[in-house]
Amino acid sequence: MNIKINNIIKTNNEVGDNLTPNSIKPKDFKVDFWKSKNIEFSFGEIIEDNSPDSRDEETFMGPTPKPSGTDLRSWDMKLLERYPPFYAPFCDMCCLCTFGKCDLTGKKGACGIDIKAQQGRFALLTCCIGAAAHSAHSRHLLEYLIHKCGSDHPVDFGNNIDIEAPIMRTLIGKAPKTLGDIRESMDYIEEENLHLLSTCHTGQEGNHLDFESKAFHAGLMDHIGMEIGDVSQIAALDLPKGEANTPLVELGIGAIDHDKPVILCIGHNIAPGVGIVDYLEDNDFEDEIELCGICCTSIDITRYSDRAKVVGPISKQLKFLKSGVADVVVVDEQCIRSDVLEEAQKKGAALIATTDKMCLGLDDRTNDPVDAIVADIISKKDDGALILDPEKVGEVATKLSLSLSKSRKSLKSLPDMDKIQEDAFKCTECEWCVRVCPNSIPIMDAVSSAGKGDFESTEKLYDHDICYTCGRCEQECPENIKIMDLMAKIGENNLKKEKFNIRVGRGPIQDVEVRRVGAPLVLGDIPGIVAFVGCSNYPDGADDVAKMAEEFLERNYIVVTSGCGAMSIGEYKNEEGKTLYERFSGDFDARGLINVGSCVSNSHIPGVAIKVANIFAKKPLEGNFEVIADYIFNRIGACGVAWGAYSQKAAAIASGVNRWGIPVILGPHGSKYRRLYLGRSDKEETWNLTDMRTGKLIKGEPAPEHLLYAAESREEATVNIAKNCIRPTDNNKGRQIKLNHYIDLHKKYFGTIPEDVYRYIRNEKDIPITYKNDVKEILERNDWEPRELVMEPTILDFPRDE
Amino acid sequence: MNDRVIPWQPTVIAGPKQALLATPETAKLMLKKAKRPLFVVGPYAKNEPLMSHVKEIAEIWDLPIVTTADTFKSFHDNGIESDSYGIVEIANLLKDPEWEGIKGEGQNDLVLFVGCIYYIASQGLSTLKHFAPHLKTLTICKYFHSNADASFPNMKDEEWEKYLTKMKTK
Repeated sequence: MNIKINNIIKTNNEVGDNLTPNSIKPKDFKVDFWKSKNIEFSFGEIIEDNSPDSRDEETFMGPTPKPSGTDLRSWDMKLLERYPPFYAPFCDMCCLCTFGKCDLTGKKGACGIDIKAQQGRFALLTCCIGAAAHSAHSRHLLEYLIHKCGSDHPVDFGNNIDIEAPIMRTLIGKAPKTLGDIRESMDYIEEENLHLLSTCHTGQEGNHLDFESKAFHAGLMDHIGMEIGDVSQIAALDLPKGEANTPLVELGIGAIDHDKPVILCIGHNIAPGVGIVDYLEDNDFEDEIELCGICCTSIDITRYSDRAKVVGPISKQLKFLKSGVADVVVVDEQCIRSDVLEEAQKKGAALIATTDKMCLGLDDRTNDPVDAIVADIISKKDDGALILDPEKVGEVATKLSLSLSKSRKSLKSLPDMDKIQEDAFKCTECEWCVRVCPNSIPIMDAVSSAGKGDFESTEKLYDHDICYTCGRCEQECPENIKIMDLMAKIGENNLKKEKFNIRVGRGPIQDVEVRRVGAPLVLGDIPGIVAFVGCSNYPDGADDVAKMAEEFLERNYIVVTSGCGAMSIGEYKNEEGKTLYERFSGDFDARGLINVGSCVSNSHIPGVAIKVANIFAKKPLEGNFEVIADYIFNRIGACGVAWGAYSQKAAAIASGVNRWGIPVILGPHGSKYRRLYLGRSDKEETWNLTDMRTGKLIKGEPAPEHLLYAAESREEATVNIAKNCIRPTDNNKGRQIKLNHYIDLHKKYFGTIPEDVYRYIRNEKDIPITYKNDVKEILERNDWEPRELVMEPTILDFPRDE
Repeated sequence: MNDRVIPWQPTVIAGPKQALLATPETAKLMLKKAKRPLFVVGPYAKNEPLMSHVKEIAEIWDLPIVTTADTFKSFHDNGIESDSYGIVEIANLLKDPEWEGIKGEGQNDLVLFVGCIYYIASQGLSTLKHFAPHLKTLTICKYFHSNADASFPNMKDEEWEKYLTKMKTK
């Protein structure tokens, strides 16, 4: 019989004077603790575990199960020594307490904080917000699913996946076997998130590097939070469990059938979507009602029912709301416009809020009868309702859509083109619309031309979301021109073109796939894994993401994607009218295009790197974060790309990814996160490595060169992605392949062979044959000398005394 | 407030410290005073007429050029010598007083900017405002950059052309 002991130790020694949060390991107690008398132990609930799994073999436990913020600090400092934070203050001042505002330009604030620490503090705060959003979402989902399926519902992804939760395995130290088991991980991250947020208070941390270490920790907690969310919903809702060839579903504004009653879900939490799908299926309404979504909730609904449709990424939100096509708008949480109720009201659509994160001032009707809620909305007594019961949301949304679609037929379209043109004609060309536009796109020219009956400029901005309809221009316009109505209306001219597809999110990567690609990835034969993730704050439209994905797919990289990035990739067709999902398989292999799913599915991306360390390299996971991260950092040529990152969640995801040792490239708007992690290739001593086989210190290379980088253009990003997939363990052939792509892309976008290529040539066998003569000239110019290949690289401290 | 010195994107305003309004005359004074100036040129200079303006200004003032984003290719194809860096990379190097410079000549004391994406340039200028007290920044775009030490005002193309033309004489 196994006995699980929850809760820990209470002593008369006040836990020594150890103030480390969550300190429960023997090493944390001072020596005199062990000499104390009258120690009291209190045990939590004792659970008898009679399941077959209780007979598992003993697991090796590494040094840091459930690490506190400071347990992984030494790893963070190693990363930060190589990649010191680069700060670009968004604001010169601190206005967080009543001492202020304090001007921090060359001065300290009233509390003593300087500008560097303030930037680190904001990076931490941003990551805390992001981690809290994912984690609160996951807590809600977990409890909902436990309520629905029971706490003993198994977490079992079938025979092809043994490691269902690699992040939890590594950080919590055990694999959850049931939904109920996951609560332990949830409790842990909630406590850690609280400690981290508290650090942002005035008069706490004062060192910028320590703020950054904590931001890494918040990022890591975010990864656990995401994994909890996706593992729970995959297990409980029977979403795809890593199957490569999930079906293609319809994507695009043009794919939505306007003639049917339309229910639109916006946000990230699948729970209300499940309620709607279940109600539609149970009552045979699937053919009668169009269910679609915007942002990650749409991806997750299609994982639950491939009858649902994806309107598109978050950039479609205002366009689609303005179009009036949706009869009922169901919002859950995250990335939803704060004025969604106002926009729904303008079009006579009903709005249902479904979570405590977004109540929008609506009455809580959770406990009211369905027919009463529907009647109050239809009669315009209420604009909408807050309903916290997903099943009830399903029934209310369905009944409302059936009724409203008949009464609001005239509202399901935008004003006539004549009226739009008349409105646009008021444009005085003051240019303020361009000045407040996040991307300074030529919106004034488009409006002005539309006023004269020429709609081509507007169509160009509408296509591929060059204008992502944030609406700032409309807010600014002194003539009150309804620029977003204009954009949505003129966009309808090409609506037939707005029909695409997306492969349903598959969730995790199967263990068998990891076994297949482990060696070629670590040795460099597969030149890298490139992950296109994040939001749609693109500098020049969504096409850029798809073009980058296409470039790397055609070059034999593995391309992984999720969320808004996955949708943007689906919105791009080649000359034959095929999307990338139709052209490339969903296998996790060279030339594979893998949509893992929604925002919370991002956890599978570091997850697969962890699996490579475990399945291919046999590194034990439990409590072994530093060893795993060191392995990933030095050996797995993976690079994240968040081209349109805008949210705090994206910042948290990137910080977590960075802590696992994976570099990330952001689009230019990413510079507004205020902080990057940049390496200095000119400082050779920062790239030294230890060879674990010999203990020797070996001259390394800037691989990866940066940990968090913001590129100004797609071309710059593309070249940097290829460079940032180089790793010290590439064998000669693998290095040749990677350098070949780097040089190729540099020639394509910069016209020359990159001068820094000499830094990546260890001996002549690394030189790509195609470029041999040119590279040799560069080597000569830079006084290059061959250097030793490192066999087992590490940046961890080598245990010399042993 | 004078519309010419409100940041082109008004919300980039960061605090009380604002750039001085530069005219071609004051810009030239700054260049004359500088011992090691550097010209950082962004992707808007891939097209004419800005590319030619940059070439000629660089020649007159003997300015080494750093191109950001993928601007290098257009310059290279047109026979204009430059060194390529990402805008965040060059800002990172410029804030280090010990940096050896693009040709090993040592850290710069004046950095001229033109043609970079407005908001990322604004972020880079903020970095230099806070962390590079050893150098001055001057922007000669047609947009007012409040995070620079000195900046041309917001202008229409016609006036900007005149400003750039004036920069071509000592």
